[in-house]
Amino acid sequence: MIWEVFRQEKPGEYHTHCGNVHAPDADMAKLFAEVQHGRRKPTNSLWVVPQREVGEVDAEEATFGGSTDKSYRWAMTYNRVDESFAEEVADSQREQETADREREEVTSGGSA
Amino acid sequence: MDLETVKERAGPRAFSPKDDLPVEYREAATRMIQFHANSEIMGAYLERPFIRQAPSLDRKLAFSAKVQDEIGHGQLLYRAAESLGVKTRDEMLDELANGEGKFLNCFHYPMKKWTETPMIGFFVDGAAMRRQATLKRSSWEPYAHAMDKICFEEGFHVKHGEDILRELATGSRKEQEMLQEAFDEWWPRIIQFFGPTDDKSTHHDFSSEVGLKMMSNDELRNAFLTAYIPKAEKYGLEIPDEPRIEKRDDGSYKVVEDDLDWEEFFTVAKNSYEGSDIQIGKRHDTQEAVEWVRNVLDQHEQAATGAAQTAAD
Repeated sequence: MIWEVFRQEKPGEYHTHCGNVHAPDADMAKLFAEVQHGRRKPTNSLWVVPQREVGEVDAEEATFGGSTDKSYRWAMTYNRVDESFAEEVADSQREQETADREREEVTSGGSA
Repeated sequence: MDLETVKERAGPRAFSPKDDLPVEYREAATRMIQFHANSEIMGAYLERPFIRQAPSLDRKLAFSAKVQDEIGHGQLLYRAAESLGVKTRDEMLDELANGEGKFLNCFHYPMKKWTETPMIGFFVDGAAMRRQATLKRSSWEPYAHAMDKICFEEGFHVKHGEDILRELATGSRKEQEMLQEAFDEWWPRIIQFFGPTDDKSTHHDFSSEVGLKMMSNDELRNAFLTAYIPKAEKYGLEIPDEPRIEKRDDGSYKVVEDDLDWEEFFTVAKNSYEGSDIQIGKRHDTQEAVEWVRNVLDQHEQAATGAAQTAAD
């Protein structure tokens, strides 16, 4: 049986997928995950999940973000006003700009 | 974990659902996050009519997206609250519909005119975002994680709000007058958004000791005024004479709190204001109207898990 492994580096951070292991049961899956994925990289916690329990929807079947122009959903669209007056608004816009750029790279099959 | 240990270990994202936390922490966190979740929902109800009343297609799309976002934020936060093990999402939604659930003062007042929309969309959302940015460092990890996503999205809301403000402020004389009227009416409520000053706030001490809350009401209000008063002035809005706001030597602001109507604030806080019933009623009616949807989903869930259990047997 295959188990997917998610690692959290430090307390409070997100668990992110780092690989998978073969194991006959949950206890051994955790042990193998510990050995394979928690030995060198900084690790605070691992989540170990049976692969068949993971649902997936991918870009083949879904159009993530929709297929029409949704620029009205983005902070950058409102460029007649300036975000720099408040740090938290500026931070949010920077995050949106990054996400938008990365989306472009993925959809255009670019260097991502 | 006992309360002393919680206070010692309290730090950004220090506690997660797998920690054994004292009931005092779990209840305080539930109260705070449930209030926040309720406020997201009730704010959306205030703005919902403007999807229909928006003056252009662009505004309609943006309002629709924004209302959708806010309802989503409510859902994220009910999840963060639910993971404390004190109340379920269903219980919290029922409490909101039956008038027990508490939410932000500004969302107890009706919003009737388009010229009022920047009061919520720019000033109230801006105030909320200021506060939310600090909560990324809250000690309840699921709450902090919800804030990451909420703050990511919220920049669109505040800038859209300012865009409407800008449009009205540079519009016709009539629009400018109506904007000022709306500002006069909403300004004291916006200042009260942050609640009473620290010495009157009942929950602050505990919440900050256990790291749920990062900044005091007074500090947050100051930060808000520092960024937003110049914005109001930039758009030609006149700051109302009351409440009096004095500038301290260090550049921070001191609000003369006696100028504000705290009796009204605490009536609002108890859901007893005249607008409270109307706003809660809208939520209550919708909750009732879509009961059949919940029932269908629950039946489906039970059927699915029942079938899985039979298969496992």
